[in-house]
Amino acid sequence: MTDLTNTVNTADRAEVADTASRDRRGASSIRMQGLRKQFGRDSIALAGVDLDIKAGEFFTLLGPSGCGKTTLLRILAGLEEADDGQLTIGGKDVIDMPPHRRSVNTVFQSYALFPHLSVRDNLAFGLRMRGEPAAERNRKVAEVAEFIKLGPLVERRVDQLSGGQKQRIALARALVCEPDVLLLDEPLSALDAGLRGQLQVELQRLQKRLGMTFVFVTHDQDEAMVMSDRIAVLDSGIIQQVGTPSEVYEHPANAFVARFMGHDNLFAITASEDNWVDTGLGRLQLDPAEQRDTPDGWLLIRPETLELGGDVPADYNRLEGTVEERLYRGSRIEYRLTVNGHPLTAVAGNLGQRIHDVGDRVTIGICPEDLVRVAA
Amino acid sequence: MRKRTLKRSSLRRALTAFWWLTLIFLYLPLAVVVLFSFNASNSAASMTGLSLRWYHQLLGNEQIMAAFGNTLILALCSSVIALVIGCLIGYGMYRHRHRKLGWLIVLIYLPIVLPDIVFGISEMAFFVQFHRLTGLLQPGLGTMVIAHVTFQIPFVALIVYSRFVGLDPTLFEAAKDLYATPAKRVVHFMLPTIKPALISAFFLSFTLSVDDFVISFFTAGPESATLPIYIWGAIKKGVSPEINAIATLMIGAVAMAAAISLLFNRKRQS
Amino acid sequence: MLQTSQTASRRHAVVSETRHLLFTVTPGAAWIIVFLVLPSVYLMAVAFMTNGPYGLPQLPLSLNSFEQLAGVGFLGWSPGNLYTLLRSLWQTIVATGLVVLVAYPIAYYITTCRARWRPIMLLLVVVPSWTNQVIRTFGWMNLLAPGTPLSNLAEILGLISPNMGLYPSNFAVTLGLVYNFLPFMVLPLYAAFEKLDTAQVEAAQDLYAKPVRAFWNAVFPQTLPGLLAGVVLVAIPAFGMYVIPELLGGGKAMMLGNLVATQFSGGSNWPLGAAGAILMLIATFIGLFAMRRIGKRLGGGEEVVI
Repeated sequence: MTDLTNTVNTADRAEVADTASRDRRGASSIRMQGLRKQFGRDSIALAGVDLDIKAGEFFTLLGPSGCGKTTLLRILAGLEEADDGQLTIGGKDVIDMPPHRRSVNTVFQSYALFPHLSVRDNLAFGLRMRGEPAAERNRKVAEVAEFIKLGPLVERRVDQLSGGQKQRIALARALVCEPDVLLLDEPLSALDAGLRGQLQVELQRLQKRLGMTFVFVTHDQDEAMVMSDRIAVLDSGIIQQVGTPSEVYEHPANAFVARFMGHDNLFAITASEDNWVDTGLGRLQLDPAEQRDTPDGWLLIRPETLELGGDVPADYNRLEGTVEERLYRGSRIEYRLTVNGHPLTAVAGNLGQRIHDVGDRVTIGICPEDLVRVAA
Repeated sequence: MRKRTLKRSSLRRALTAFWWLTLIFLYLPLAVVVLFSFNASNSAASMTGLSLRWYHQLLGNEQIMAAFGNTLILALCSSVIALVIGCLIGYGMYRHRHRKLGWLIVLIYLPIVLPDIVFGISEMAFFVQFHRLTGLLQPGLGTMVIAHVTFQIPFVALIVYSRFVGLDPTLFEAAKDLYATPAKRVVHFMLPTIKPALISAFFLSFTLSVDDFVISFFTAGPESATLPIYIWGAIKKGVSPEINAIATLMIGAVAMAAAISLLFNRKRQS
Repeated sequence: MLQTSQTASRRHAVVSETRHLLFTVTPGAAWIIVFLVLPSVYLMAVAFMTNGPYGLPQLPLSLNSFEQLAGVGFLGWSPGNLYTLLRSLWQTIVATGLVVLVAYPIAYYITTCRARWRPIMLLLVVVPSWTNQVIRTFGWMNLLAPGTPLSNLAEILGLISPNMGLYPSNFAVTLGLVYNFLPFMVLPLYAAFEKLDTAQVEAAQDLYAKPVRAFWNAVFPQTLPGLLAGVVLVAIPAFGMYVIPELLGGGKAMMLGNLVATQFSGGSNWPLGAAGAILMLIATFIGLFAMRRIGKRLGGGEEVVI
């Protein structure tokens, strides 16, 4: 929680700096209002998007393929024209500004390094196009090469690089221009898992060090949660939820967001009264804060909140289930249970407690405060 | 099993023999031209000894030197014009490839599929009538350049087009994203990227121009004979051994081009 | 208010895209239209005019030229032009057939050689066609003239009458055509062989006892698109060939191309020449059309790009 307020503070400070003086890397805020985009006659990519991104924030657009996240990013870059709506970056209206005049740079999914240029010339391309003097250019390129730890790669030809190296160079090529906003279009999707995890951490550190506004696009919810200050989940051109990773994960706004964030334990609510709800699992007690007037929606149970076996405290919900499958994952153990004929997944940390066998009957304790109601 | 491999190897030996025979078939006429260019006598049927006299005669022949000059000027001018026009149209075809451009494709393929002779006489008939009506476009190097550019454009356009199609389309966006204005995109991104295609398009145009006889023949004026036209005339008048010498020089140029392209290929492979 | 300015900017984008298309495409398209389409249209019109003095066309419109092409003249019907047409057709068919017979094993042989040799072998096949057509044909004149070893050999074998030489003759024209067009057939066939599905061929070898049947059932159908592309690349220009029959054929081996060219170079009869050109165009487009149809039916549509 403290960490979160910290980021907001830095963001605020950055915004102040932004309006006061823009000589150094000025992080910029982004404001989108009613952005619409349609391809052809009936393929709607964006159905009216309103979104505010704070200066200096690591912001992620998350969603399945075809949800409109890439279109939104391309509109920010100026590579796509919105049919309707407004867009300001750092308080400036940029909706009609061509991409080469926007202080926004993109790291493309395919990296898009120029094959006819060396790594050094690729890095210098943006500065050269902006007409910066050669001495300044060389200094900045050397600086960014040092910063991203490119080392001897700078002299190479582009076709001699590995995927991970190309990715870093694409990033450096965008960073060296010191844009107000950096856009990243699934830049890690082509890399293998190990390298990917490493670069996720690196990218996040880098963003914090620079204090630059990053807008990141991905379809991988783990990646989004690890890296972002805030996440916007999109589906069919509509923003489903905006929030911090913990908000989106723990309190998904609707069933789509919940499923997309990887939740399996969703149960339709058939009836509710005060802070009691009926589901396929049985009657369960919720925290009074989750009380709603209508009996619709879903109940979300996070697998890691379930307590298996042992004594169930009196104020907890108590269920009984059968272990159908057990997946040993080292640091944790995943159980696939059935409760009243409904599948339920539970995850227990591997802390040396009793391991249940397939076929065991187990008691399940659920703290009412861990139960979340989710809109349909 | 044994029998089968035996049969295979005998088939293979037959194929190898056939390959060498075909090579002899392909190179024999050229070899004869080269050989007779060093013939001491002017007999076309037998070698009487080696000499360079036909090459000496070449240098003194003003008509041949003029034809040589015309060939070069024609090839150079037409290739440069075709490169500019073909490059533009190739890029247009790429950039607007999602539109319906069927008519353009037909137009571009027309010079390729039209038989040489129809191509040549159409131009000739057109130029003659146009000149009668307006006094412009008198048959000569000018009309030849026009005709050559017409058959070179499609090749340049198709080479440039296929180079663009082979590029990652996000490169164009990356250039925009990195502050390149439309003009700078052309100079710093597009032209450098398609440079290899431009070079090969230029050389192909040049070769096509030097190689062409039929279209040149029908669009030429009295003063604008190229080497192929001169050779044609000389053959028609009765074979002069000098022709062997010019022909040998042209074969030499082709052999050099072949060697260069081979080296180029090797370098790319390694 | 906002809405209208947005649509205006979009309309502006469409207009500028169209302007871009026109800017890039117009010079080339206009060049081809003015210097090739218009002349061709004019030529076609000439075919329907009457022959005037000095061979130049004049009104009134008539079908005289087509009658002349069919052989109708002042002195009644003569078969000369018809023979020329039939000879063109016959030479095209024979030469194309021979080119296939030579190119097929050659293309196959190249694919069986080591990968590093293949580009060199292809280059060896193609290089002669880089030299000027007139020079290549001149080489054959040297080889086939009376008194040369080849002519002497043919004389000894009793194939030709004494002191005639192998050229000028119909045979020399066929030879020249085969020589000229061989690379045009080898290249598409080579491409087809290179793409050959070897698994299918091996399966066929297991399936059919005789290699001949394996060939007809597994190999040949797969190379058919390449073969057809080659046939079009050879047959269309062969039908309109001018240089080779002119140099190697002499007066007795004229083809349609010579008939057409004579009407223009001698200045004798433009409408007749234009009528011949129309015939050639019709043959060309029939060839291309048939090719597309067959290519589509074989499912190899995009391989048959000409």
